[in-house]
Amino acid sequence: MEGSSSSGSDPAFKSSQTIHTEHLKTVRAVAWSPAGKTLATASFDSNVGIWEQERDDDADEDGGEDGEAGLGNGEWECIGTLEGHETECKSVAYSASGTLLASCSRDKSVWIWEVQPDAEFECMGVLLEHSQDVKCVAWHPQEEILASGSYDDTIKLYVDDPSDDWYCFTTLKGHDSTVWSLAWSPCGRYLASASDDKTLRIWAYADISATAAENAGEKNNKVLQVKPPSALTSGQGDGRWVQVSVVEDAERSLYSVSWGKGKSGGLGWVASVGGDGTLRVYDIQEDPSSVALKPKLIASIPDAHGVYDVNGVSWNPRQGFEDVLATVGDDGSVKIWRVDSEKR
Amino acid sequence: MAFSGALTLTDLNDFISPSQACIKPVEQTNGKPKQEEYVGAKTEIVVDSTGSYYEVSSGSVELNTTTLPSRVNNEISGTKLEQAQISLNDCLACSGCITSAESVLITLQSHTEVFTFLEHNQDACDDTKKLPVLSIAPQSLASLATALSASLSSSSTSSSSPITPLQVLRRVTTFCNSIGFPHVVDITFARHLALQEHVLEFEERKERDSKGGQDAQGALPMLASACPGWICYAEKAHAEMLPFVATTKSPQQVMGTLVKEWLGTRMGLTPDKVYHVSVMPCYDKKLEASRQDFYNDVYSTRDVDCVITTGELELMMKERGWDLSVPVPGELDEDISFGSLPQSLVNSNADDIRFPELLQHPGSSSGSYLHSIIFHLQRKSDVPLTLTSKVMRNSDYEEFLLTTPTGKIAFKGAKCYGFRNLQNVVRKVGRERGVRTAGGAAGRMAGRATGGGIRDRMKRKAGAATNGAGPEENADDKGYDYVEVMACPGGCVNGGGQLKPILPKNGNQTSTLGTSGAAGTSVDAEGYPRDWEQNGGGTGTGTDTVQTQSGVVMNAKWGDKDWTGKVEVTYWLTGEPSSLSSAISGSGSSQGGGMAWADEMAVRVLTEMCGSDDDEGVKTRRRLFRTEYHAVQSDVGNGLAVKW
Repeated sequence: MEGSSSSGSDPAFKSSQTIHTEHLKTVRAVAWSPAGKTLATASFDSNVGIWEQERDDDADEDGGEDGEAGLGNGEWECIGTLEGHETECKSVAYSASGTLLASCSRDKSVWIWEVQPDAEFECMGVLLEHSQDVKCVAWHPQEEILASGSYDDTIKLYVDDPSDDWYCFTTLKGHDSTVWSLAWSPCGRYLASASDDKTLRIWAYADISATAAENAGEKNNKVLQVKPPSALTSGQGDGRWVQVSVVEDAERSLYSVSWGKGKSGGLGWVASVGGDGTLRVYDIQEDPSSVALKPKLIASIPDAHGVYDVNGVSWNPRQGFEDVLATVGDDGSVKIWRVDSEKR
Repeated sequence: MAFSGALTLTDLNDFISPSQACIKPVEQTNGKPKQEEYVGAKTEIVVDSTGSYYEVSSGSVELNTTTLPSRVNNEISGTKLEQAQISLNDCLACSGCITSAESVLITLQSHTEVFTFLEHNQDACDDTKKLPVLSIAPQSLASLATALSASLSSSSTSSSSPITPLQVLRRVTTFCNSIGFPHVVDITFARHLALQEHVLEFEERKERDSKGGQDAQGALPMLASACPGWICYAEKAHAEMLPFVATTKSPQQVMGTLVKEWLGTRMGLTPDKVYHVSVMPCYDKKLEASRQDFYNDVYSTRDVDCVITTGELELMMKERGWDLSVPVPGELDEDISFGSLPQSLVNSNADDIRFPELLQHPGSSSGSYLHSIIFHLQRKSDVPLTLTSKVMRNSDYEEFLLTTPTGKIAFKGAKCYGFRNLQNVVRKVGRERGVRTAGGAAGRMAGRATGGGIRDRMKRKAGAATNGAGPEENADDKGYDYVEVMACPGGCVNGGGQLKPILPKNGNQTSTLGTSGAAGTSVDAEGYPRDWEQNGGGTGTGTDTVQTQSGVVMNAKWGDKDWTGKVEVTYWLTGEPSSLSSAISGSGSSQGGGMAWADEMAVRVLTEMCGSDDDEGVKTRRRLFRTEYHAVQSDVGNGLAVKW
């Protein structure tokens, strides 16, 4: 694993533009819409800002087709503001289809908005399930399932009841402290969580009957594809949510987790960062004999941002760059890393 | 404990604790303070042995502090300071601490408070004795009746006809009489007056709107004003909506005015000599009753002295060993309110004044505000207006259109219940009427000078589309004229103060009201297979499913849809079986003798209270039946405590 500047074939990064959001307070998180055209900002001023780039007339035809945001010189402007949170908004996320937007806040609520034409948003749900500050929201990569992590140490999963409102169908308990960050596996069958309790945990919806659970390791146990449960049965069919892995490598709080496709197949690569300043990358492969996962540490960079905490990590979603990730630290810098396949 | 979602959300605050900022400054009442003496001098606050606070100039103190108590007692150099007291009313200024201190606040208006009052009142001398009056909301009666029917059907094998709200009213009245309330009334006559005023205000606003210009700003759509959860939320989070909110008082507060100003006067009692308890389906109503706007400065009394919830009333009956399932004599008798008009009552000046009972205003079980306007418009229109409705995303959000024979839209209204729908209505109205949806970053961001931006292009696009559609308005483009806003999903029958659902035994959730009690065949000797403690006002634990000893599964989750549906059905039950369907479908045909009596009574009350229709009368009417709203400053801008 190495810094970005070392190899000629590596992508080059430069600051493209600064958006002066005019949010009253810190912007805590940002999220791209899947199409890459819209950016959502979650601010401590309790609002979510929605931003789109004004297209230069010359650049109108460029960029749009190949799925890349045509990041030209156009001005970024606020096309909408989502208000409703009473206090600091902590996280924001677009669903896979880009039709839903979720946000969460210290006011303990999770809000779900439907993205409508002409920069309008309709409130689809206000979920007051957590008993404390909600730190993060993450959408399932295929289904319309939302996960949220909170200061109340739990993770909650929500779906839409078509005849009614969104509701929480499962609460995942296991962490001993705040859940700071969540990441679904690219296949959508696993959910990783990073917590203040220094652990990285992986959760799955597995086909484990009560008797089978006693003989852990039985071959017929398998991790199921997560589907939104039926609104009529608050249960979830045959399976149940289990914790399939607990990684206790971190010396201090873990703040962020990201799950990318990686370059060695399997379930992909999970990256985690936190208060100990170390960037860790794990290769995740399924074990046919057990639902338990054994993440293999393939890279570990101590002091990734010097003596500072590392607060965020994110894999590059672009095809061909699955081994590139970015971190942000308390030193105020963004660093881009590539997993060195030879040293791996 | 269950304030409405709207209210709890605005008050969710996990670190604000009651602080100096919460407390109203103590008013100086002791004449002219001798300020000259203290100008430039340092002062100190001293506490004497009795716990009283004194402000003394430090110059005199430093002579000899040990002599202080005697000198203070002689009031030579110290100024005795008043003790600050915080009541529910003071806290309303910010409502930031409600979540943490709600239990404290609620004890100020609770069933124990009612008992305490009754006890003291009994022993009071004539000077301080008050007349206890209790008024009860029809949604509370419906909740009690539904619970009774459900527990009867689960504890007996024989099929029994459902208990009606009127029966419950009779039983509750008997109970309340027995504990010291000589007057028990249901609140529907006050609602009748409130609806009349509401329609009047709608006409006023419509006229303002039609004139256009500055006056039309904030005139329409008119938004309902009866839900205190919505009012609190609007005052705190959406000040820009306040001009649209009807200024008509809620039925509870109209009843307060009726009881204190009209009934009291007729009985020769000043407002402070009447103690008015109101039974409501809603915790938020406690806050409404505490509003400064409903405080009578002259007599230092409130229009409603104490609000208790349906659950708290049930708790009162339990504590006094009252079994609501036992019929009282004459409870099934045809009531006068549904019979012929008793002239003797209308014209009598007797002390025993009765209001028309359980008036059914067709439309919604949350007060029929929207429908009273719709029916009014239909009645006074020269051409027949056709009413159509459309369920939007769910049954809690429904649009209503009145169209002329030529297809022109004469009125567009909506009923909008629940916090989520409320959000969307606020956004929609804000957009349609061009008011900022809120303070904060929204206004600034939207106001950024970015010529020819996306938003402008969108507007142009939208404009072109409208032009293409021709001059005739289509239903989607027309803005609302009226919205019946309620904070609770399902409306008031699902209020936070209602009884928790009773589900049949054996987990059979499909059993419906009035079915023969096949689901639960074991007879409970008590007749009340319920966990009373769980139903009690302030002690409920919230959302867990509770398995009671008797085996009845109580789904304690507030907002059980199936249960709310049953309460809704019960709400419309009268003695007459035929009235049910017509009332629900809102045909407006069930205007029986009760309504005629109510109309006459309303004229009489208004005449007696407001006098004639001259300017003075109109002013008095406004004073008695309207109120106002106050935007609360948000604390988002003050960032002392940042929590990541």
